[in-house]
Amino acid sequence: MLSLLKIEWMKVKNYRTFWILLAITVVSIPGINYMLYDLMDNSFPKSKGAQMILGSPFAFPDVWQTITWNSSLLFIIPALLVITLTTNEFTFKTHRQNVIDGWSRRQFIGVKLMEILLLAVFCTILVLLTVMGFGFIGNKLAENVSVWEHSRFIFFYFVQALSYLMIAFLLSMLIKRAGLSIGIFLIYMIVENVIVGILRNKYKVQGVNYMPEEVTDRLIPFPYARALLAKDVPLWEHLLPSFLIVALLYLLLYCFITGRRFIKSDL
Amino acid sequence: MSSILSIQSITKFYGPIRALHKVSFDVPPGAVFGVLGPNGSGKTTLLGIVMDVLKASEGSYFWFGERPSEKHRQQIGTLLETPNFYHYLSGERNLQIAAAIKGRGEGDIPRVLEMVKLADRKDSKFNTYSLGMKQRLAIASCLLGNPSVLVFDEPTNGLDPVGIAQIRQLIRDLSKEGKTIILASHLLDEVEKVCDHVAILQKGQLLMAGNVGEVLTNEDFIELGVEDGGMERLRAVLSGLSGIRQLKEQEGHLQLYLENGGISLAEVNRYCFQQGVVLNHLQLRKKSLESKFMELTK
Repeated sequence: MLSLLKIEWMKVKNYRTFWILLAITVVSIPGINYMLYDLMDNSFPKSKGAQMILGSPFAFPDVWQTITWNSSLLFIIPALLVITLTTNEFTFKTHRQNVIDGWSRRQFIGVKLMEILLLAVFCTILVLLTVMGFGFIGNKLAENVSVWEHSRFIFFYFVQALSYLMIAFLLSMLIKRAGLSIGIFLIYMIVENVIVGILRNKYKVQGVNYMPEEVTDRLIPFPYARALLAKDVPLWEHLLPSFLIVALLYLLLYCFITGRRFIKSDL
Repeated sequence: MSSILSIQSITKFYGPIRALHKVSFDVPPGAVFGVLGPNGSGKTTLLGIVMDVLKASEGSYFWFGERPSEKHRQQIGTLLETPNFYHYLSGERNLQIAAAIKGRGEGDIPRVLEMVKLADRKDSKFNTYSLGMKQRLAIASCLLGNPSVLVFDEPTNGLDPVGIAQIRQLIRDLSKEGKTIILASHLLDEVEKVCDHVAILQKGQLLMAGNVGEVLTNEDFIELGVEDGGMERLRAVLSGLSGIRQLKEQEGHLQLYLENGGISLAEVNRYCFQQGVVLNHLQLRKKSLESKFMELTK
């Protein structure tokens, strides 16, 4: 697998778009968090009442949930990278050439999946560093507070990142065109939210919580106004294992569909 | 090893369209094997199947007498349809990727770039290349690691006359080195000039396959001419000659097709003279692949 990854690296290391999108990812994750931190800091009166409702979202231990939730708003950027790199192969027909030159179809799809895994890990590390930055530098650590309490949110972010990137990959493999894949990815993000909103709030259909993107969104609840949402925490804790299992099943399904499609069909 | 590539009863459907129907033939070692057919006859589909980019609906194929795998493809230099490279990378970097996938070192890259006369443009991005340069880069990629088997699908596409002549010479030179070359083309004279074996496809069906000499066997004919007004007399005289398969008039000459082991020009000349017919034109003609092809595919 390492030799395959080396070849993938040869494909991207001199590709300007790759570096631009990667740089935007690197800048935007701490950037959006700083923006929201700044907004919180300046927009709300520092009264005791406001403090009670809002808590300290950028201090340990809540910072884990806050940063991971904020950062999850930016999945479109690494998803763009996945779509670009995948659809490039179809545009240039290099997916055919790689197979002609001596890769098996399994190797091609395997290294692409590995690339997505690495990108999800990369984003997770960025988020981890951002958590540490805000937790340690931005806020003084209060006494009797554990740094690692709530750190499981970083794992939830990883699952969510992997899931969104795999959806982008699935669309790219099925559609094969960059513009259309990006468009459908964006539209799906919006449409699913609308469907979930209508069905859950108006018709009380709880099954919509298990839709492909919603199920991973559920892993990291809205981090602000925690005091008002505290009543929902026990139910969330109860449902958490099912969210994780369904998210994992979706990931396996994405791998199965993309793998089967590439291995069985004409290239 | 009896054959480099053995194709056994391959059929391919694109939805309801049957692109190939039970095509079978073998490519012997060291052959320059032409796969010939008009546009849409299934040549590229057939090569796509044996390179695993297309899936056969039925049938099988074997490389080097074994079930096909990616290891076999690494040993084969293939140009299929159009040159496929990363547009944003230079020619040399594209070749580095191809060499890495083939499991070969980068040491051979300067040699192949030199062979296709692209050494001075190796650092230019692929998307700045002309059509001919792209085609030459694809041929350079095929030659990486000096493979013993080469598959070329329309290798002279986009090349100027000098480029075409260079590629033909390259194919001849590679053949002399004992390499097996499979060449798909709709250009009949291209196949005729460089191939020693040929398979002719039409609408997905194999019409004929074998040694060029065998495919064109019995296709020699004698062309005869007489002074004006003597054509009917000549036809009558020749009709009495034994071993004649066919006699037809073409552009003021009579074409005489003979059975196997037909008579020599001298015997025909002597016979006509003895029958009182004086010939003013007598020539042994070989039927061209083109006319054979037109005959088969009409």
